[in-house]
Amino acid sequence: MSAIEHDDDAIVIIGSGAGGGTLAYELTAKGIPVVVLEAGGYLRHDDYVNDEWEAFNQMAWLDPRTTSGSWRIARDFPNLPAWIVKAVGGTTTHWSGATPRFKAHEFTARSTYGRIDGANLLDWPLTLAELAPYYDKAEVAMGSTHLHGRKPLPANNNYTVLANGAERVGYKFYSTGPYATNAEEYDGRPASIQDGFNFQGDKNKSKWSTLVREIPRAEATGLMDLRPECHVVQITHDASGRADAVLYLDKEGNLHRQAAKLVAVAANSIETPRLLLQSASPMFPDGLANSSGQVGRNYMRHTSGSVYARFNDPVRMHRGETMAGVIADESRNDPDRGFSGGYYLETISLGPAFLASFGDPGAWGRGFTEILDAYANTAGLWIVGEDLPQESNRVTLNTSVADKNGLPVPNVHFDDHANDIAMREHGYAQAEVLYEAVGSIGAQRTPPYPSTHNMGTSRMSALPESGVVDKWGRAHDVPNLFISDGSVFTTSAAANPTLTIVALAIRQAEYIAEQLKTGGI
Amino acid sequence: MVFPAKFPQLNATDLTNEARSVLIRVIRVAFPHPTFPDGPYERTADTILREAEDSTWFRVALTQGLITLRHLAGGDFRDLDDVEATKVLRRIETTEFFGFIRRTTVLNLYDNKDVWEIIGYEGPSFDKGGYINRGFNDLDWLPAARIETYEGPERLIETPTGGSAARVHGGGATSAAEPDPAIPLGLADATLTGATK
Repeated sequence: MSAIEHDDDAIVIIGSGAGGGTLAYELTAKGIPVVVLEAGGYLRHDDYVNDEWEAFNQMAWLDPRTTSGSWRIARDFPNLPAWIVKAVGGTTTHWSGATPRFKAHEFTARSTYGRIDGANLLDWPLTLAELAPYYDKAEVAMGSTHLHGRKPLPANNNYTVLANGAERVGYKFYSTGPYATNAEEYDGRPASIQDGFNFQGDKNKSKWSTLVREIPRAEATGLMDLRPECHVVQITHDASGRADAVLYLDKEGNLHRQAAKLVAVAANSIETPRLLLQSASPMFPDGLANSSGQVGRNYMRHTSGSVYARFNDPVRMHRGETMAGVIADESRNDPDRGFSGGYYLETISLGPAFLASFGDPGAWGRGFTEILDAYANTAGLWIVGEDLPQESNRVTLNTSVADKNGLPVPNVHFDDHANDIAMREHGYAQAEVLYEAVGSIGAQRTPPYPSTHNMGTSRMSALPESGVVDKWGRAHDVPNLFISDGSVFTTSAAANPTLTIVALAIRQAEYIAEQLKTGGI
Repeated sequence: MVFPAKFPQLNATDLTNEARSVLIRVIRVAFPHPTFPDGPYERTADTILREAEDSTWFRVALTQGLITLRHLAGGDFRDLDDVEATKVLRRIETTEFFGFIRRTTVLNLYDNKDVWEIIGYEGPSFDKGGYINRGFNDLDWLPAARIETYEGPERLIETPTGGSAARVHGGGATSAAEPDPAIPLGLADATLTGATK
């Protein structure tokens, strides 16, 4: 690893997850040195533990946050709006692996869905055709099953229930992927041993993450200066309004300044806007790159929910790849269902500890314990669908609560849109019908977990007044500031976001490299 | 029950054995598992008592709640049958006392091997080689399911043509005239199959 001097004007990447880790690898592979500042520690695969709460306390982003709004999270988990990772590799270290692409019309949500009351819809300044070559690259990098010669994963028990139910209700578009975990050895990573632990980190290295692929490869170039346990508190700018440095705290709480010629923020959709808001200055009084007022707004988390169905016979959903089962039939936009946009149904399983905590928060009594008693005979799925951007769903700085460094914590305000609720109800009902078709004797509707998909708080727009960054993720207001994570999503689409974050980061790296070469930055 | 703490000075609270026994009964009534022995409930009660030692607020809530229980039960809570005991707990479910017990129980009762074995969860698996050779696919009461992408004649109609007002009906979708960028490298994909417009 090459050390980069603090007063060298560096390319500074904040975050090492799907966006930042990919960007770091793609740039260093092109011979461009980078500094990567990662708030979390350097956990390795051997450090992971097959235990839900122990792993959660080891990996999760547990810095204090606050919540408001009518979402159940504000009542049930008021200080845990999101379930994401604080470690090298970011949230790719605990993601499941589902990699559907966005559909063409999902890039034109405003044009396709029309005006919807309360929604702040906007078309992406980008088309599927433009992104498609980068989806190919991302799928090859991640080893998505069913594609580019990668074999499908075998059916685990939870999938067998899902797929049989799907077939019996007339669904067609189901399979065990695309899923970025190896069915057989690929790219130096072994085949899955179906150990059932994804949310806790994959000790076997079969699952793609930036920790298993991009970070070590960037390190091997000798061009990456990775600094774990370094939490960025501010991006500063010069008199012309260009970013010129970042200020960050090391693990001892000492403040450092890293000079920068380019800053790329990939801190996930709560910390990214928090950092821009913390970087307000007389020239940028509402936050850096926030002349549009859209920084922090349009926070999206997907219209999620789970159904856990009980059967007379064993399922043992905890065995095998957690989310290697996808039904796409409902991912279409079919307004006749009573809502715009679509959703996927994907297998999911939790262990008893997490099922007890998240299955029906606040519940007790026999209705609750029946869920746990039926554990071995339970199948589970996750509804993941497009939720609508709303200006009032918003990350702000809560100046009345400070973290351990004295920084204002982010507050996440969220209300479901009526469209989100209609979609969720449809998903619950379809899931119950599906499971009844294969003999379910009872089902639990589980509300959305603390958000694992966080999107939209620094959105892409063609016009500077309606968003924060352009089609390359480059800030409209600050020419050498880039956003490189899911914050840039103009709308959420139905698909799990990681593939799209990676594809955008690969594309952004090409653009940055070209701009550096031609003096465009 | 007399005052549930052994000492009137609450900072030195060391709850009586009687208080512990009532607490165990509260947890069993609130989280009834016919197949659980006493051990997991006792373990959970002791966790609650330990946490109460570290928090004045919980200690006060716990002490006060145990007194309230006696009032509502018209005597010893432990003498109530399951139905009557549940009714009493429903009356106090919004209290800090019950919330503290509920939250701590949910977090701890199910986070232990002693109950995992009873409900059929197998715990850590990596060290045992995962389930690749230990039954990840041993479900035998349903037929084997297709794992590959659907390759039949139907196409997913991704969105109605002509805007949201017009709806394309039926399964007879037209085929795409041009290569669809949603389909990677010409390979069919369950999530993105077929003609769009």
